[in-house]
Order: sequence, then C-alpha cells, then structure tokens
Amino acid sequence: MLLIECPWCGPRAETEFSYGGEAGIARPADPDALSDAEWADYLFYRSNPKGAHRELWNHDHGCRRWFGVERDTATYRIERSYVLSHTGSDAATGSDAATNAGTGYSSGNGD
Amino acid sequence: MTAAQPNRLRQNGRIDRTRPLAFSFDGKAYEGFAGDTLASALIANGVSLVGRSFKLRRPRGIVGSGAEEPNAIMQIGEGAAAQPNLPATQVGLYDGLVARSTRGWPGVRFDLGAINDVFGRVLGAGFYYKTFMYPRSWWKHYELAIRKSAGFGQAPEGPDPDRYEHMNAHCDVLVAGGGPAGLMAALAAAKSGARVMLADEQDEFGGSLLAFAASIDGAPAAEWAAAAAEELRDMEDCVLLPSSTVFGYYDHNFLTIAERCAGSPDSSVGGGVRERLWRVRARQVVLAQGSLERPLVFCNNDRPGVMLASAVSTYIKRYAVLPGRRAVVFTNNDSAYRAALSLAGAGAEVAAIVDSRPGGAGDLGLRAQALGIPVHAGHVVTDVAGRRRVTGASIAPWNGESWENVESTIRIDCDLVAVSGGWSPAVHLHSQAGGQLAWDDSQLCLLPAEARQANVSAGAGNGQWSLGECLADGLRAGAETVSRLGLKTAAIRVPGADANAGEKLIEPMWRAPAASDADRCPRQFIDFQNDTTVADIRLAAREGYRNVEHVKRYTALGFGTDQGKLGNINGMAVLADTLGKEIPEVGTTTFRPAYTPVSFGVCAGESVGELYDPVRTTAIHEWHVAAGAPMELVGQWHRPWYFPRDGEDLDAAVARECLAVRNSLGVMDASTLGKIDARGPDVVEFLERIYTHKVGGMQVGRCAYGIMLGEDGMLMDDGVMARAGEQRFYLTTTTGGAASVLSWMEKWLQTEWPELEVYLTSLTDHYSTIAVAGPNSRGLLEKLGCDIPLDKERFPFMTVKPAVLAGMDVTLFRVSFSGELAFEINIASNHALAMWRTIMEAGVEFEGAPYGTETMHVLRAEKGFVIAGQDTDGSVTPVDLGMNWLLSREKDFLGKRSLRRPDSLRKDRKQWVGLLSLDGRTVLGEGTQLVGESGEPAAMCGHVTSSYFSTSLGHPIALALVAGGRGRNGETIYAARPGLEPLPVQIVSPVFYDRKGQRQHV
Amino acid sequence: MSEASPALSGKEGVPPSGKVGTPSPHGRHGLEPFFATVESAPDARVAISVRTGRGFLNLRLNPHSRKAREAAERILGQPMPLAANTFTVGKHRVYWLGPDEWLIAAGEERASDLGSGLTDALAGFHAAVNDLSGGNVELLVGGAHARTALAKGCSLDLHPREFAPGQCAQTSLGRAAVLLAADGEPSTYTIIVRRSFSDYLCRWLENAARPHGAGFSVL
Repeated sequence: MLLIECPWCGPRAETEFSYGGEAGIARPADPDALSDAEWADYLFYRSNPKGAHRELWNHDHGCRRWFGVERDTATYRIERSYVLSHTGSDAATGSDAATNAGTGYSSGNGD
Repeated sequence: MTAAQPNRLRQNGRIDRTRPLAFSFDGKAYEGFAGDTLASALIANGVSLVGRSFKLRRPRGIVGSGAEEPNAIMQIGEGAAAQPNLPATQVGLYDGLVARSTRGWPGVRFDLGAINDVFGRVLGAGFYYKTFMYPRSWWKHYELAIRKSAGFGQAPEGPDPDRYEHMNAHCDVLVAGGGPAGLMAALAAAKSGARVMLADEQDEFGGSLLAFAASIDGAPAAEWAAAAAEELRDMEDCVLLPSSTVFGYYDHNFLTIAERCAGSPDSSVGGGVRERLWRVRARQVVLAQGSLERPLVFCNNDRPGVMLASAVSTYIKRYAVLPGRRAVVFTNNDSAYRAALSLAGAGAEVAAIVDSRPGGAGDLGLRAQALGIPVHAGHVVTDVAGRRRVTGASIAPWNGESWENVESTIRIDCDLVAVSGGWSPAVHLHSQAGGQLAWDDSQLCLLPAEARQANVSAGAGNGQWSLGECLADGLRAGAETVSRLGLKTAAIRVPGADANAGEKLIEPMWRAPAASDADRCPRQFIDFQNDTTVADIRLAAREGYRNVEHVKRYTALGFGTDQGKLGNINGMAVLADTLGKEIPEVGTTTFRPAYTPVSFGVCAGESVGELYDPVRTTAIHEWHVAAGAPMELVGQWHRPWYFPRDGEDLDAAVARECLAVRNSLGVMDASTLGKIDARGPDVVEFLERIYTHKVGGMQVGRCAYGIMLGEDGMLMDDGVMARAGEQRFYLTTTTGGAASVLSWMEKWLQTEWPELEVYLTSLTDHYSTIAVAGPNSRGLLEKLGCDIPLDKERFPFMTVKPAVLAGMDVTLFRVSFSGELAFEINIASNHALAMWRTIMEAGVEFEGAPYGTETMHVLRAEKGFVIAGQDTDGSVTPVDLGMNWLLSREKDFLGKRSLRRPDSLRKDRKQWVGLLSLDGRTVLGEGTQLVGESGEPAAMCGHVTSSYFSTSLGHPIALALVAGGRGRNGETIYAARPGLEPLPVQIVSPVFYDRKGQRQHV
Repeated sequence: MSEASPALSGKEGVPPSGKVGTPSPHGRHGLEPFFATVESAPDARVAISVRTGRGFLNLRLNPHSRKAREAAERILGQPMPLAANTFTVGKHRVYWLGPDEWLIAAGEERASDLGSGLTDALAGFHAAVNDLSGGNVELLVGGAHARTALAKGCSLDLHPREFAPGQCAQTSLGRAAVLLAADGEPSTYTIIVRRSFSDYLCRWLENAARPHGAGFSVL
C-alpha cells in the first residue's frame, strides 16, 4: 500500500486517496474545432510510461484536495507530490509538497 | 523415558514437565507438555507417520521444525472453529487440541490413494495436463474426481466463531525475526531512541539460540536472548510480538504480520482474539529471519525418519524429544555434525556420518570422531529402506562425477537419517520488497543484494552463519537504520560468542548418484509436498521447458503451503544441471506474499457480519424498521423496499402503494439523494460547463432537471437542481452518485478551472428529504399548516420555497418523480423523524401510505423516467435516451464534443424504448436479452433495463435498450427466455402513463 | 459576495423554539436506539460517548483574504486554524478541513444564529456558510485503551508525539470517513462522523473496544 504525501495533510495511506489519471492533460479550449482524431487523442490516449509519471490524486477521505504526484510506475517510488498550479492542470510549475505542507494554499486571489 | 511419551528425554528442553496436556491425532489420544509444538509432542509419542503425499500418496513423516515443514500439515480443531492446513511444527500444543492429518483417506496408515504410487510411473510431470485434456467435454467429469482427491484439509462447516482483528501500527524500525541478529538490531535501534517493533514466529524470542548449545558472554545463549527480550519489553515505544510471522512486505515499507494470540480457541489470552493482523508502516526494516536448511536429494529421501539435521537438534535441545535411536547423518557441510553431537549427547547411537566432501568436516568432525562416531568422508547415501519408517541406509563412495549405477558398499540399519544440504537464507521478504538476489558460489545460496525499499538484512539471512557474526551483523544493521533515521547511535558492545572458527566450506551435492539409471531409479524427491522429483524436472527440461517459472508450473515445484522453502534451490540446481547452465542463469521463481499460510479469518478481521461494510441509514430509519419494512441495499444505504401490511408480499404491497400514490397520497423517505450547495461569483459559468442545459436561464426559485455527461458523452448522473440565489444553487444527485459527483466537480474546479470562484459543500447528511406524492399531497401539507400558499399559480411545478410546515422550518420543492402532484420536503435531519411522524398521523385521513423503493421504481417507470445506473451503464448517451431537449446548442459542456464522434452517431446504437409483453401478463426479467427473430440462432439487438407489473395500467411494462429502437416503434421483437419459447414483445414509447404529463402540474 | 438568498436562507430546518413537539430543541442525533440498548462493561477501559446538542457549520473562504478571515474571526471570537490538521478551541471549536474549508462546532450559541452572523459578516466576500447541524454526530472516545481501540481501524499514527492534542485529521475509521481530533487530555479523542454512518461507526467502535471493556454514555 502506497504512502502518499498530501501537500496539505502530509503522508497518508493510499486508502485515503483516489487516483485521477495522468496529470497535465489540458482540456482543449475549443472542442468543437477539433477533428474526431484530435478529440479522441485528448479523450483516450495517455502516455503510460515505464518510469517517471505525473499523475493526479485526490485526498478524498481527507481534505478533498486534488494534487499532483510524480511516481515511478516501475518501482512505485514517489519522487514528490505538489500543489497544482494556478494555470490549469499542467502541473509542472507546481511547488514541492515539502515547502507547502502545513499552511499551503496556492490558488485564489488576495483581498 | 516414560511409557506414555516413549521418545521424551528426562532432562533439559524448554518444556514444562509439570504441565501435561492431552491432545488427539487422527482420533487417538496422546499426551504432551506445555512448551511442545504439536510436532514435538507427536515425536515424543513415537508417531512417525503424519500424512500422505499429495499425488502419490506416499507415507510421510515430520521433516522440519518450523515454517518449512512440508508434510505434517494438519486440520486443527473441529466444526466451525476448525483450521485446515496448519504445519504441526507451528501449532503450539494446548490441552484438548484435536488434530487430524489433512491428507490420506480413510486414514494415513491405510490410504486407498496409495495405489497411485504403484502406478505412479505414469504420473509424471504434467500428467494432469496431458491426460485429462481430451476429450475436452469430459473435463467437468475429470475435474470432480481430481478435486475430490486433491487438496489439503476441509473447509470448516460453519461460520468461524472466533474473533480476529486488525491493528494498524507505525514504527521507526520493524525487526523481522527475533534470533541473535534480530535481537541485537532491535536493541541497537531501541537504545538509540527509535520506536521499535520486533516480531518472531516462535512463542519465545531467541530463534536458533533456543535449540543449540551455545553461550553468549559466558552464559547459555537462551538466557541472553530472554534477557534481551526482557530489556526491550521494558522500553517505552518498543512492541514485542512473539508467535507472529511477518508474512508480507508491500510498497512503501508496509508490512503485514499475523499474530497467533491464543493457543486454544477458547483461551482468554489476547482478549479473546484468536489471531491479529498487524498492518505496519515502518520507516526502516531489519530482516533477520534466519535461514532454512535444505534437504539432500537421494532415492526414497521422503521416507518417514528422514529429517533435517537442524530439526533433529531442535527436537532434542528445545523440546527434549529424541526423533530416533540409531541415526545416520548425511551432509555436504559442517553444520549437520552438530546434530550428530546432539544425538550422541541425548543417548542415541550415531551409526555413521556420511559426508559427501572428500575432505570431511573441520573441527566438528574431530569432535565427532572423538566421540567414536564413524565418519565416511567422500561418501553419499544412495537410498534408504523402509516404507512407513526408515529401516536402513545404503551408502556408496562417490567421486563427485558419476551419477548412475553407483555401487553401494555399506548398508547401515537405522531409524533416522538426519540430512543437511546446506542453508538458504530466508530472503523472501527482501525479495517481496523488490530487492535483488545474488547467487554466492562459495556458500551455495542466494543472498540478499541491493534493496529497493528501506530495508537491511542481517544475520543468517544475510549469509552470516556463526553466532558471533550474527550478533555483530545484527548490531551493524540496527545501527544502520538508526543513522538513516537521523538518530544518534547508542554505544553497544557486541557480546562475546563463538565465531565458528575451523569450519570447512560446503561443497555442492545437489543430488546423490543412484544405484541404477538416473531416470529409472527410485524417486528422488525435491518438493515433498507436491511430489516433484528429479525425474520430473529432467522430463520438463526434455519437453522443452527452460524458464524456471514454466518448470515450476509444469512440475508444481514450489507450490503448496510451504512455497518451496525446502525444494526450490535444489530444484533450480537440478534444472541448471539438466540444461547445462549455471545456477544463476536459471534464476529463481518470484517470492510473493504470504511467507507462510495466513488464515482467511485474520485477513477478514472484524469486517464480518454487520461490520462487513458500512450500513448507512437515514434519520427516519428506525421508523421504517419498526414498520417492518424489508430493506433494500442501495450502495451502502439501507432503504425501505416496501411496507407490508397484514402479511402482504412484495407484489401485493407494491400494488397497494402504487395505487395510493396515483389515487390519493404516498410518502417516501428520499433522504439518500446526494445534495450539494454550490455557490460563488462563477457558479453559473461552472454549472454551464458541468450540466447540459442552459443553467443561466433559470430564475431564482426555479428548479430544473439536469444531467451531466462524462467527457466521453455518456450519461453520468442526473438530478434536480434549484437556483437558490443569483450565485447559489442547490444540486441533487442520485443516491449512488453523491460522493463521485462531488469529487468529479471538485476535480474540474481544482485542476482545470481554478480561476472559477465556486465553493461546493455536501449537504447530503444534513438534510433529510420526504417526498409526498399524489392528488392529496397538497391537501396534506395544508392540513399540516404551511405558511406559504401552495396553489399552482403561486407555487407552480418545478419551483422551490422556504416554508414553515407543521411548525418546522423546511425547504419545499414542487418536483415529482412519480408524475403526480408532489412535493419534496427538505428538513434538517435531526428533525426529520418528528416531521415524518407528523405526516404519518395527518396522512391517515387521506388513506395515505408510506412507500418504498420498489413502488418508486414502478411509478417512475410508468412515466419513463430514467434511473442512471439502472437504465444506463456508462455506454448510453443522452441522445440514446431521447433527451436531446436537454442538450443546449448555445454553449459547450463536458462531453458535448463526444456526441459528434462517429460512434455516437451510429444509426444502430442501442436506444431507450418501452416494451409491452404481447401476452399481456409476463413480467420480463431485468437483463433479458432481446432478439429480432423468434428462431435460433438470432442476433441480439438489446436488453431489458427495467421491468415491473403496473397495477395502475393493469399490465406489465418494461424499459429496454434496443438497437435503433426509437425508429422501430410498434415493431415486434422477442425476449429470450432460457428453456422457454422467446416471448414476442412490442416496442413502444417509454412513457406509459399520463403521456401528456398533466397530473404533476395540477 | 455571499448572500442570504430569499429562496434558501441559512436557517432552514431549525425550528422556532417551543413550536415543535420534539424532546429537545436540537432534535435527535439518531443514535438514541444504539445508546438505549448497548451495555457498558463493569471495568471499561474505553469510554464511548455521544455528545448531544452541538450545532455545526461548514465555512469556506479564502484565508489569504485577510479581511474575510478577520470578519469571520470577529464573529467567532477566536482565531481560525491556518495550519493544516489543527483546531482552535475558544467559545467554539474550529477545525481545519482543507486550505479553504473549516468545520465549526458551535458552543452554546445556536448554529443558526452563528451562521446568520457569519453570513452577514461575509457578505461581499467569496465565502460559503452552511449549517450542517443535522448532518454530523460528535462522539468522544477516551480511556486507557482508547488509542489501541482506534488503531484497529485507523491508518494514522496515533502516537501522542505524532498526533498531539490540538491536532485533527480527516481519515477513515473502520470503513467510515471521520474527523478525528486529539483532545487536551492524553488518549482522549473527539470523532465527528456523518450522521448516516454514525450507527455503523458506533457498532464498529463497540466491537473494537469490546476486548478492553467498553463503557457508553450520552453527554
């Protein structure tokens, strides 16, 4: 059973989480403009790598937040988990869990 | 030695001779002592035949003294509390223990299946695959017969009466194995301030120290072990688990331990818990599970009386029982000489030590010779005599090269052959954790190499054989975990102990030469439990099996309860020899959990009976129970199915409840619907993207039926939404979709559209929902006293208003899931029961009735209302359902683009229609397949999704998904019925009742 | 920008006092049948209680909006916990549920009044106040073996060093989702569970505590 670091709640057992698939699959801005093949690519095709994989997890038995995890699909080693960025689900710009644990709140505006 | 226990030694051992315990084996009464295992007590009583082998039904005796035991597999206990498949070597004796051999019918001494051994020449590897393949249609007959004669033990006859539980634990360092290395590692970690757990499969800590004459710091080693365990037990944050086997090592240092809490099922030890499953998350793990001795492979090496040399020592030293009176010791390494010394010390005669090494042993050999034990170096045992018990051994000189037709020169009478083929470190957990293994060509064993997780191996399991090395290695491993944890290592001294100086190395002797042809000699067993022989492996290789995993499955090598603990390495070596390869090239099979068999009871833990799965109940549940309503399980909810009156059955009650709603008044508890508060400046934009209809067009106070699709265009969930304010909506979901819909919406909000300012809050448990439906529902509310006007002009269909009803604050929805005039009352759950009771009292005047889920289903089916998850299955689009009117053309929404995919536009997609049985009376089974023609074979064109008898209409109705169905209105198709003629049915509109939809608007 | 909408005010479900024939103005917590029939062991080392009469509010706001937070804290009369998985104790208990979500276990004050106050104070901010008084049940578990009993079904590390008083966590207990909080005294826990799971959870707790002796009371 994996031990997954929620960026807010810290390490918790896998049973508290649900898996959300590959991270960084941005929804096309104008689906209507896409060909059937392009839409199918967005809808069905995933990279499925052996090795490093960025994926979405939801701490649904905890704080209900979605966040990103970088996990090695061969060893199951989790390199890091991170808060999703402001700009959609491409999580590359997210910051490390360690730096956000405790008080992290990355999205939303100030006063 | 006493008459009752003829093989019991008078002195020593770790048993309590003042506490005799009665037990029985295969119906015969025996006596043992506290501290015995079932195996040691059987040996004490001279029982040498304990079972029959799996395939050949050969008589078998006890071989080992621990988890490796392949033969003495017992059914323990009787009736519902019986446990099959326990190795007698791991069952602590208790008073009244009832044990039965699990193999051999009618008994182990006379087994009808033993005929297999006589004709066994044909029962080679792959026999079952080859023989029972043809004709294929006969397999079902073969299978019955094979299954009857196969297997170990019998399933208990009733529900297990014992208590099992789970325990979650966390520690800095988990130490698996409480022998010298494990104890040292635990001490090193605990004294450095780490939280430590130490588990050992035996009921006492010390491991091998309990069975060997060794000293540590000048005192008996067992005393040192007891003192070390005591010191650990007294430390805060140190958990000691005796009788506990670490059997699984999973991802991210998650390990499972099975603890046997009580020897006797009725014992109060462990709070009445029989077994406990520890689920441990450890920061670091020390694997110190020791090593397993390998048997030697020679003809008839499975005869009762052939025993591992270490087991012989253990039985003598730990349990004070003598497994034989006249022994031959056969070995390829020095360790077995200790068994010879133990035997001699206990008064047995050691007739010979047969050592395959031309040079014999080191210092231990000299000690044996000093006792007058004859040592035959450069010799091998080629065969043993005796069937139910060894009576003699044939011995031949061996040059290390010849394998066939070796002439035996010596024949020695004996009743015990103690064997040692070397030692295999117990690398199972290391390997389960993903660690690498490396073959050591000088020690002839697999050693743990690079670890994948945070674990360190120590002691004999790490190839450290002497006591001194084990203690030092344990300390090293403990200290390593401490430094990895960032703690300061406490200074600890390695206790003084022998370092086994003067030992000679093991030399390979993977199978002894035979007195005849290698493939025609008496069987040379590799895996006792599965009757896998050298000839089987050679046959597999000849037939083209090269991969060790394939050979395993073809020959059954390493299957069974012992998982090849004794046979795997010997099997690998014989396969390598046959294929002309080196052992590392052949490799080993995968080590998987569980290390030892684990009971179903401990896997299930407390999740049995009413705790099997959470039962969710509404705030009105106790009323339903008191009313005698049978419950229907909907997701995890218990919902009243129907409310029988005066002994009514389901059909009668549902008929009455349906008529009550259609003619007057029905009341239903709809509290299980999912409810979500959605609000924020961007809530309209957000909901426009989630739902298919034009949300922005809804006025405050209006309700709308909404559906949401997956991105694949398939219907996901549906429900009524209400606009509670300019920036606030109240959404309902299906009962089963409540959690998943909220999670789905949050996913889009948090990952894709974080710029949208919307907050979602679940209100599912806070609000209870009471549906009142029927022509008199308005009258009922008026009678209860309502502070708002309820007429259709001021409170029209599909609107919502806060109100005070019967003196209680509620939110009143004018929505209908029955097609009748209806209201849904939302009320805080802590007042819902009071409201329900008030309604029930007031409803008597209208001859109203509570109704359950079955009536709800009939009423909605009469109206052609879809139920997501019943009429849909994730492959149905809103177009298939005839819901085009809900699909806005003016906006994008999730899944919209998919509705234009070529597959979504297929003309022959299954579409949702109504069906009428043309005989006017048959209620179709839900799931019934539909075909276009009555003859056989006919292509399937759809299936029934919902089906009921409609009392209001006086005939059955059904809803179905039919290929191109909506264009086939009026067509006759056929419902397949197994064993009966297909029934003609007519395709009709899915709306059966009040097609114009007038009744709900009154 | 929060609003007290005309259609669904924050007050629905709470009866005007004196008008309803229920035993208490708080209505029923739903565990009455369980606590009426369960038997306490004579030497209970796990004490299980249901606390009645507590109102609950769910609060959503952006904590980086200092003005919104201060407006809420003025009404609450106590700080809101900003550190994950902690709670503050004042007139009320305020539990951190997520980076923009809190659960308020109201003190003496009625949840509806507190909710109205918060709703008014947060008008103009992106915020949400929802009364969840009917949806939550509060249990207290204490006693010498409380931690052991909980560990049977909770994957969290409950060691006092790891889960100290003042900390809380949303997690699973048995197979129910709960909010678990470490109270001031060692080995004393507050569990807040959704109403529909509360009967199951009490049965689970009763079973887990049975080997240690379980005592039951209504507070």
